Amino acid sequence: MNFIGEHSLWALAGRFFTYLAFTGALGTAIFYGLNWLRPGACSGPDELGRPRPAHEPFLRAGRGAFALHSIGVVGILTVLLTAILSHWFEFDYVWRHSSRDLPLEYVFSALWEGQEGSFIIWIFWHAVLGWFLVRGAKTWEHGTMTVVGLVQLVLTSMILGVYVFGIKIGSSPFVLIRELPENLGLPWTTIKDYMIRIPAFRDGQGLNPLLQNYWMVIHPPTLFLGFAATLLPFAYAVAGWIERRPLEWVTPALPWAYFGVGVLGTGILMGGAWAYEALSFGGFWAWDPVENASLVPWITLVAAAHLMFIVKKKKTSGGLTAIMVMLSFLLVLYSTFLTRSGVLGDSSVHSFVDLGLNGQLMLLLGLFSVGSLILLLVRWRSLPRSSADEAFSSREFWLVIGSLVLLISAVQISFSTSIPVLNKLIGPDGLVPILGEAMAPPTDVFRHYHSIQIPVAIVVSLFMAMVPFLRWDSTPNALLKRILPSLIASLLLGGLAAWGLKFDQPMYSVLLITGVFAALSNLDLWLRYQGGGWRSGGQALAHLGFAFILLGALISNGKKEAISQNPVFLHKDFPANEHILIPLGDTVSMHPYWVEWTGERVEGHFQLFDVNFYGTAEDQSPGKKLFSLAPYIQMNPRMGNVREPSTKHYWDRDVYTYVSFADMRSPEEKASGWAEEMDATMGRGEEVFVFEEYMMRCDSIIVKSAQMIEETGDLATLDMAAKLTLKHMDGRNETIEVPYGVRGNEASSGEAEFVNLGVKVRFDGVSDEPGRFKMKFWRKAPEEQEFILLQAFIFPYINVLWLGVVLMAVGTALAVAKRIAGPKPAPKP
Amino acid sequence: MAFLVGALMVTIQDASTYATFEMASKKTPESVTVVGQLDLEEPITFNTSTSMLRFTAVDKDGARSIVYYNQPKPTDFERSEEITLTGLSSGDTAFFAQNILMKCPSKYADEAQFSSK
Repeated sequence: MNFIGEHSLWALAGRFFTYLAFTGALGTAIFYGLNWLRPGACSGPDELGRPRPAHEPFLRAGRGAFALHSIGVVGILTVLLTAILSHWFEFDYVWRHSSRDLPLEYVFSALWEGQEGSFIIWIFWHAVLGWFLVRGAKTWEHGTMTVVGLVQLVLTSMILGVYVFGIKIGSSPFVLIRELPENLGLPWTTIKDYMIRIPAFRDGQGLNPLLQNYWMVIHPPTLFLGFAATLLPFAYAVAGWIERRPLEWVTPALPWAYFGVGVLGTGILMGGAWAYEALSFGGFWAWDPVENASLVPWITLVAAAHLMFIVKKKKTSGGLTAIMVMLSFLLVLYSTFLTRSGVLGDSSVHSFVDLGLNGQLMLLLGLFSVGSLILLLVRWRSLPRSSADEAFSSREFWLVIGSLVLLISAVQISFSTSIPVLNKLIGPDGLVPILGEAMAPPTDVFRHYHSIQIPVAIVVSLFMAMVPFLRWDSTPNALLKRILPSLIASLLLGGLAAWGLKFDQPMYSVLLITGVFAALSNLDLWLRYQGGGWRSGGQALAHLGFAFILLGALISNGKKEAISQNPVFLHKDFPANEHILIPLGDTVSMHPYWVEWTGERVEGHFQLFDVNFYGTAEDQSPGKKLFSLAPYIQMNPRMGNVREPSTKHYWDRDVYTYVSFADMRSPEEKASGWAEEMDATMGRGEEVFVFEEYMMRCDSIIVKSAQMIEETGDLATLDMAAKLTLKHMDGRNETIEVPYGVRGNEASSGEAEFVNLGVKVRFDGVSDEPGRFKMKFWRKAPEEQEFILLQAFIFPYINVLWLGVVLMAVGTALAVAKRIAGPKPAPKP
Repeated sequence: MAFLVGALMVTIQDASTYATFEMASKKTPESVTVVGQLDLEEPITFNTSTSMLRFTAVDKDGARSIVYYNQPKPTDFERSEEITLTGLSSGDTAFFAQNILMKCPSKYADEAQFSSK
């Protein structure tokens, strides 16, 4: 049947491209794999170091299959993007994630809001990165591309959306609402013009208002590019270990590892920037499970990338390096499992919907984990025996220790984030009930994570400060003295800053000093010993950037000050409230400012609240006006209102504020507030006392009109009115008529209002007692003083954090560029 | 390695447990996590001078408790299917929540509008 207005051909095209991508990935894996694993090809270059000749037809077939796969992926993206741009709401994905009024730039956010979309962007980046391997991996092409093909096969299976023996494999973004399992067989699905008849198809559900933020346009693709970048080192490692070249793979994989470190790190903190700007939880990092899930692979990737230098230079630590590289990729898979399976429902503010793919997600995670583990176990013996222990003053020794410290950090975050998973596995209702009661996540997440992560950060910043000065094998004492100037300077400078900032926790002061040490020593290294040029500056700049990130996070969070304090004392264990009440037009003290709320206005979907900030004069009264902010509430009838902050940026601090409570009723609603409902039964001549201050008297009942039914003499219609007088104790009185009527057996009730006295009456039916009737009364609610609750924080030196992100991104980019540009030995201290 | 084990031990000890209101009152002043539902029959009031939210929650055992939460009312609070309260009990009179996490009806529920036609 042809459905009017439906773009089923496009849906079909989308499906076709999905199958093409899937088949292409399968072909890639098979043809590259056959070429790679055919007898004699497995051990990489021959005895003379020459690449073994490839089997040309297989090679060409593998590349062809990957080209088809890529065309499929681009096709999927094109069809989905077209559907969203054209508002084809018969597509379930389009209906769920977009709407007609969605601004153009957020079409991309809608594209990757759903799980299917985020899989697609991830697959897309893998396909793009795959071409770098085809073009540049040379002897590694067969091995790495076989791995890429396998990974892509599994990932595209997540968007297949087919049923095999009743089991759902993947969820396709090209399903029409008509085709959803729950709608199959419903009568409307057979109506030719159902799209016109059913109003729900005229507009989509819309994008979650929280995601309508420019950071959400670039954060997800950057994050997923970072995720995708972990595939390349993984592919090299797997290829290397299978080919019994457990060390050589490191050289080509190294730039990709740093590429991943830079992109993933930037992507994670872009998410932080979004949280800081669009969410009102007051900060850029909340140790939310979803944030943690993306941070952990980054930490292990950083460890892996640093270890790769040891393998490259010293031909040792091959095992640990491979473990870390594989762990990074597996943790990316695990992170997608965590965030997509719905298992975090109780512990994350991000709501995820279970698409019924948990089994498949677990299978792919298990497959790659077990595969990697077996590979490591089987080939462990092909690692060259290390001849001697590393010297205490050698760079490699401390790099290994540093990566183990990073592993501790990763393990703690993973463990605490995985508590819901552990409950599913070994909790009282889990698969293997070991625990007597279910574990709950720590109640104070900040204290919990900081108890381990702050000491780790201290050690890591110390290492960042000193290890770059160390040499491979061993470091002469003369060279060690080069660290002294920055050590002394940071003790002075950091100590002074720590003393000035007065942290309430000694650990924070220590981290401040070590952080400054890391920054100064890397700057010193770059300017004095590496010539200060861009080409050589990658490492030092990236370290400097990371030191800034640590310092910025430390100071802005450690000295974050809630200036909106409610003065009411509650309980010694229950912290005083951090929300300040501001009546409309009033100016209240919010040390060091005075704030005034002048009014609200509506702009599109936003209700803005204009708040003026004044300084404090010498006599503690409001001083001159400093700035205005307009925190707002995003109104979304479908998904609820969202409170969004407004921030005044100074170079050395941010004043961050959001409206935590506001009366969102419309002015009419606010004005028409009737309150204190009351019932009474009365008859003619009777009086009742209402609201403890009025006397209500029924003066008379007036018949306005009456019609009889001729034949029977029964009443057909009767319109009457009760004349009521309301008398206040102070003598004011008012008389009105409340109409009511009878139509056949139905009584209709009328309403009237004592305008001057502010009381409303409604006839509420005839009483069982003859001649009496029931009445309801309301009186006008007293005019409420309008107010808002505001929460405001000062984040000192948060710009240090953002500067750090930029420096780290630039630094890693320079380092990667240097690696790609070729081997020109950099001057080492 | 010792560090790793140590860090893990600290981490495990830090994990709290899911409790009922009764268990919470025995564990005071330790913070616990209570999963339950909002009691819509009882009033939800917000005191503007202390900016304190007061409501009644029902835990998994069906026990009711008054809950104080010194934050403004979360958006769509009444629509929540399930609420996760983190905080401590003050003996048997009330529960002081420091944090509330709501599970809202999935937006997929809106799709039911197609199924009914």
